[in-house]
Amino acid sequence: MHCSRRSFLAGLAASLPLGEAVWAADRRPRIAALTTIYHKYSHSQHIVDRFLDGYGWESRHHRPPMDVVSLYVEQVGDNDLSDERAKRHRQLKIYPTIAEALTQGGSKLAVDGVLLIGEHGNYPNNEKGQKLYPRYEYFQQVVDVYRESGRTAPLFNDKHLSWNWDYARKMYDTAKEMDFGFMAGSSLPVTWRQPSVDLPRDAEVEEAVGVWGGGIDGGDIHVLEAMQAIVERRRGGETGVRTVEALRGERFWNALDAGSWEAGGWDSRLLNAALCRSNQLKTARPTYSNVFPTAEDLRRLAPASYAYRFEYIDGLKATIVQFQPDQKTGGVVGDCNVAARLAGGEVFSVLFYLPYYSMRNFFSPQVNHIESLFLTGKSSYPVERTLLTTGMTAAGIESLYQHQKRLETPHLAIRYEPTRESTFWRS
Amino acid sequence: MLTRRTFIGAVGAGAATWGTVRPALGDVTPHRRIAIITTVWTYLSHAQHMGDRFLVGYPRHGQWHKPPLQVVSLYVDQKPEGDLSAQRAAEHGFSIYPTVAEALRCGGDKLAVDGIVTIGEHGNYPRNEKGQILYPRFEFFQQAVKVFEQDQRVVPIFNDKHLSYSWEKAQKMVADSKRLKFPFLAGSSLPVTWRLPPVEVPYGAELQEALMVGVGSSDAMDYHALEAMQCMVERRKGGETGIKSVQMLEGDAVWKAGNDGRWSTRLLEAALSRSDSLQGDSQLDSRPQDLAHNGKLQKLVKDPAAYLIERTDGLRTTLLMLNGATQDFTFAAKLKGGEILSTQFFLPPTPNVTYSACLVAQIEEMILTGRAPYPVERTQIASAMLDRCLDSKMADHRRIETPELDISYQAPRESRFGG
Repeated sequence: MHCSRRSFLAGLAASLPLGEAVWAADRRPRIAALTTIYHKYSHSQHIVDRFLDGYGWESRHHRPPMDVVSLYVEQVGDNDLSDERAKRHRQLKIYPTIAEALTQGGSKLAVDGVLLIGEHGNYPNNEKGQKLYPRYEYFQQVVDVYRESGRTAPLFNDKHLSWNWDYARKMYDTAKEMDFGFMAGSSLPVTWRQPSVDLPRDAEVEEAVGVWGGGIDGGDIHVLEAMQAIVERRRGGETGVRTVEALRGERFWNALDAGSWEAGGWDSRLLNAALCRSNQLKTARPTYSNVFPTAEDLRRLAPASYAYRFEYIDGLKATIVQFQPDQKTGGVVGDCNVAARLAGGEVFSVLFYLPYYSMRNFFSPQVNHIESLFLTGKSSYPVERTLLTTGMTAAGIESLYQHQKRLETPHLAIRYEPTRESTFWRS
Repeated sequence: MLTRRTFIGAVGAGAATWGTVRPALGDVTPHRRIAIITTVWTYLSHAQHMGDRFLVGYPRHGQWHKPPLQVVSLYVDQKPEGDLSAQRAAEHGFSIYPTVAEALRCGGDKLAVDGIVTIGEHGNYPRNEKGQILYPRFEFFQQAVKVFEQDQRVVPIFNDKHLSYSWEKAQKMVADSKRLKFPFLAGSSLPVTWRLPPVEVPYGAELQEALMVGVGSSDAMDYHALEAMQCMVERRKGGETGIKSVQMLEGDAVWKAGNDGRWSTRLLEAALSRSDSLQGDSQLDSRPQDLAHNGKLQKLVKDPAAYLIERTDGLRTTLLMLNGATQDFTFAAKLKGGEILSTQFFLPPTPNVTYSACLVAQIEEMILTGRAPYPVERTQIASAMLDRCLDSKMADHRRIETPELDISYQAPRESRFGG
């Protein structure tokens, strides 16, 4: 059955871009969701709810043509919603272990797709500030079931693969070796953009800057994924990252003042362009509602700021600037923006827009891509992007931890080709 | 798909298609002097949002753009607690004058500015029996026209939001601008703000029906929604032809009209599919919901209103004000052949409200080029349909024939939203 389904789906894939992906097999695909916690505004709530209740998509209330039939929730608190969801959706059952969720209480893999959502919940931080979400551990339990069943299913992993590079690499290698569809990452690469544009494929990119409001690890991965989704489209495709250098405290402010990569910072034009795409510049002057911050404003509003500077193997330079407030200040920018300087000096800049209203609809394009993964067995965009950004996140944090030491990153020599078609939300 | 990209491909624009920096119009143009005529200048008022952009610049095409315009004079009708006008005048070196005429003449005896920005929004003004706030936009405009006539010179005028609460006053304002031949731009920021997705009605498309969903109070927010709808439907085949009739419904009559097919549930689903802020269960625990069909809409919206607007060419257009269901402004239209187009008119959050930067860019262009980038008739017809819908409300919600609203015009082909 497995082989015949795959070959059937290969034929089906051609019709998917029309948005009419309909499971034409004898039954609807069955999906298992494995999550750390399920409460309002948790990632599992946003993602799994869209499978259960549908979501607004291209002028319709779209209902995914598949059923989440099993759910594993590791932490159940007072604000848990999983019980309510299971009561309201009769096809959904909650299981006490990952293996049981995947086998629906039987002995063999009984689902056609797996959602692995290890975000939110009460987990310890390590000494570097990384939250030890058990994504790798969940993944290992999934592939154990795959092995015992002699069958695999496509898997989506929310956000970075792991806080730990070695774990991430092993997850990637295992998926390759077992040859199942593997997709991962943040919603930022696929959400709305303002303007609604992508970098032309094969543009020559010299330097890039991404900005947001900070958050070691959990916040870093989002900016890195957004920036990577832009720069991976440069001429030659992705080649991987050679070095990383973290900057914090006076070293950060000196880098900001330096005004260029060569002088130890980043191109100030790129930082300014990124800030000029923002819809959420924090108030730098009383009674003014939208002013461009001065260098003194930046220092005053975000004293805990830090940056990671990356050199890519092909010579590209890229920095994420995290304008982190302290407890008394408001910060600089409330949204994620990226700018890139192209050969010839032109500057490309874009806002990654996250609708932070009742439904957090930036999860809608992500779920739409996950549906495609489950229907076709293929990821809409290369999982190597998230492998690389997982490694960049961990490397940036490591450099911070090692007193901002510049580190060589030979393990991040990750090459891949991006998709030719853009995959962000445009319709 | 009818994306902005398709549009831009069609008109063959240059580097702006993918977000690179382009030289701003103002970078090569000498500074022009402008006067701001406003009701009130307090924090988060329209005058503060828009007026400040002329003083400190605004984000545009990935740059902080400093308009080549110099605010030289201000008239402010009310100075309540929180007034910022004196502080702004001192900091930015312009003068506040006690009358509109003196502001336009900068205290001299002749018109002494190159452009006028009138912002008659916010401040303490009475309402009439129809619920309309009696902002003195018409009166500001008439005083400017009087200066033009006395001084034998005209300059471009921008009027924020509707021309007037009265369709007759709005008509006279447009007539005066044509009689004296000065550029006249007006309206809401919704037509020019970002859209999600960035779609446009294909120019010359045959439309079968259109529906707008809005929220907020009358006559402040329903106006925004009506002008947003107008900037979409004016692109249809034949252009705008005017309004044949209007009817405003409230309460259960709104739902009954939907059940009777007087507005389209299918288009409501399409419009709500673009909302990021559904209420009820979505507010409770963030779940998405099919609010057009799940039976909860009528419970959430205690005081629904429908503005049924029939066009002279037969097109049916409806505004549903659905307070309690959503917090967004969304639009849907059915094209001949059945294709449905829908979008959200995106209002970036307070305090930046960068939608007003999109509008200020249009004002700046008009003052610099002497040409309004889109016809003032868009604002005139939206002002008029709102006024007449409120007449219908006062007349027991009866349908009113509106032969006087024979306002026809051609929309510009070029899109002006986002930026």
